[in-house]
Amino acid sequence: MTQNLPEIPDTLVNVDVIGYSNFLVNTGATGTKFLKEIRDNKKIMGIKCPSCGKVYVPPKLHCPTCFARMSEWVKLSGKGSLTSYTVVRYEEPYLPKQPPFAYGIIQMDSADTGIAHFLGEVDLDKIKIGMHLEPVFKEEREGSILDIDYFKPSS
Amino acid sequence: MTTEQKQDPEFIQFRYPREVTYHHALGYQSKFANGLKQGRILATKCPVDGRCTIPPRIVCPMHHVRQTEWVDQGQRGRLISAFKINFPMFNSRTGELQTWENPIIAVELEGGARMDGWCMETDPSKLKTGMLLEAVWRPEEERQGRADDIMYWKPIEE
Amino acid sequence: MAERIAIVGVGQTHHKSKRLDVTTAEMCAEAVERCLEDAQMTMKDIDNIVMGSFEVADGYYSPDKWIIPELGAVGKSGLEMQNVGTTGGVVAATGFNIAATGLFDAVLCLAWQKMDEAAGAFGRGGGGTNEYWTGQFPMSPITNFARRAYAYMDRSGCTEEHFAMVRVKQDQCAMKNEYAQLRLGLTLEKVMNDALLAWPIRRLHMCPTTAGAAACIVCPEGKAKKVTNKPVWVEDWYTCHQGGSLTMAEDPTSSTLAYASNLVYKRNGITNPPKDIQAWEVYEPASPAELRWIEEVGICEDYTAWKLFEQNKVGIDKEIPFNPSGGVTATNPIGATPVVRLVEAALQVRGDAGEHQIPGTINRAMATGYGGQGENVIMLLRKTL
Repeated sequence: MTQNLPEIPDTLVNVDVIGYSNFLVNTGATGTKFLKEIRDNKKIMGIKCPSCGKVYVPPKLHCPTCFARMSEWVKLSGKGSLTSYTVVRYEEPYLPKQPPFAYGIIQMDSADTGIAHFLGEVDLDKIKIGMHLEPVFKEEREGSILDIDYFKPSS
Repeated sequence: MTTEQKQDPEFIQFRYPREVTYHHALGYQSKFANGLKQGRILATKCPVDGRCTIPPRIVCPMHHVRQTEWVDQGQRGRLISAFKINFPMFNSRTGELQTWENPIIAVELEGGARMDGWCMETDPSKLKTGMLLEAVWRPEEERQGRADDIMYWKPIEE
Repeated sequence: MAERIAIVGVGQTHHKSKRLDVTTAEMCAEAVERCLEDAQMTMKDIDNIVMGSFEVADGYYSPDKWIIPELGAVGKSGLEMQNVGTTGGVVAATGFNIAATGLFDAVLCLAWQKMDEAAGAFGRGGGGTNEYWTGQFPMSPITNFARRAYAYMDRSGCTEEHFAMVRVKQDQCAMKNEYAQLRLGLTLEKVMNDALLAWPIRRLHMCPTTAGAAACIVCPEGKAKKVTNKPVWVEDWYTCHQGGSLTMAEDPTSSTLAYASNLVYKRNGITNPPKDIQAWEVYEPASPAELRWIEEVGICEDYTAWKLFEQNKVGIDKEIPFNPSGGVTATNPIGATPVVRLVEAALQVRGDAGEHQIPGTINRAMATGYGGQGENVIMLLRKTL
């Protein structure tokens, strides 16, 4: 049944397909405790490794350096210094804030790691690395890292 | 991002609803899509064993040779296998959950290639392997070069 | 020159439908902790990590960047990969390849799946099939196996009751396995009257959604003999692709299992599979598929496996010890499942499977992984070299 089929064109075709997803993410027992402290007590907590003594925030179950199980919680002041930042000026779907906005890594006092969060109440052109910052919590909190609205320069 | 919370949950969870549009290029298969728009089913033929494949491919998956010959597969075929879905499933075109009345079948076409399709007969117990089927197309203006341009396969008398 | 390799430690989590108490990384760490304990090793002894899961179903890409730090494994060599259902098989096969080079002391193979986090993962494109061609049909593993089951019934003359017999046998085995998820105490009536999903597949015929992880440690010969006095030797392994969409298969009931198994048998001198292999842990995503897989691995003639169940010949202490752990219909953390099969097969060879241990000496065990449109991974284990 061989046929010559010149009447069917070779013109290129493109199709658009929409993908829908609604993924659910678990924070686990450790993550839940961290978020509930933020929600209920406006406190940021870290977790300490029994083997090497490092304090991690946000907390994890196993130490990234020695794989020991961690269970010792440490209350932190919530204040920290800015180690790095950027100002986002472009639009993209699903951004949590309207640009321009600044966010950076804030090394927590008395901890060995930093958390990423927004910077607020600060002139976007006057942000400096090393600035000392403190968290500003939202009035209505639901148990999310965004219960902290942003970090502002410490008074 | 929304928290799932009615009373205080023992473990906190988050949802990330997302809708993303993907743009796919059909490339070599474009001729196949164009054929469907004209109410014809085309397949590429392997020069080594003469087997026709749908979806058509530039290279034969078994023999690694170029397939440049296109063959019209006709309008009829025989039933290979079937299933009917009894629970709601996502319609990947609309993203909606819906129920599905018609069985999905695999058909072996006159030219030897096989393809999936919808069956007009909704009672699976009336389906028999090997029964003769004929393609029922969507109206020409509704065809988009997609697999379901063939609206149904209809059982016909021998 | 390739080194001979052995599995020196295994570990798995207790598989559940939801694990809300841990994140994905924490769940992996649990499996790895148990595996290290089994091998009496620490993370410092591991110098290569091969890992993977079916990423789309869990909802992220490149999870190694998140999980490696939580394993305390930063700086170690390794790879991350995914391949739908055969992910665990591909992870294990890659781990074997790496260990066989002799360049590393101990390779950790880790696979996981956290399906309590998937939502609508199969809503797009029918779950792994060619997006353009089959994306218009609501296809999923359930419908693929319904299609196979219909064709099997048509060609073999078996009935729905035989599918129910298979499911009850799987459940009886799972009841003896503390790690399995579904341990239900099923009867034939319960299975035959269960909700119809996609005729002829009923809900109980299909594997569940599971959150679980499994890991094993593979060492080259010299190191393996130092670490443990019960190494499980990996005799051979093979990964096999299928030609494409289901409709291309010559026989719509089969996959590449027959082709891959025969190749492995030929190059290892196996001529009588039911005698030469004493333990089987084969990836069967649905009860009807188990019938066909029993035939494909060469235990009996094509389209006759249903008779073995009628004659009550399949079970932990019966003539054909097929999936003594309860198989995939009891537990299916998709990406991890082939590694779970490998872990169970290794436990059988060592004699450590507890209540679901097959009696007698297990000299050879076979574990397989299955995925997508019929890809298979074969893993052959031996008690002695």
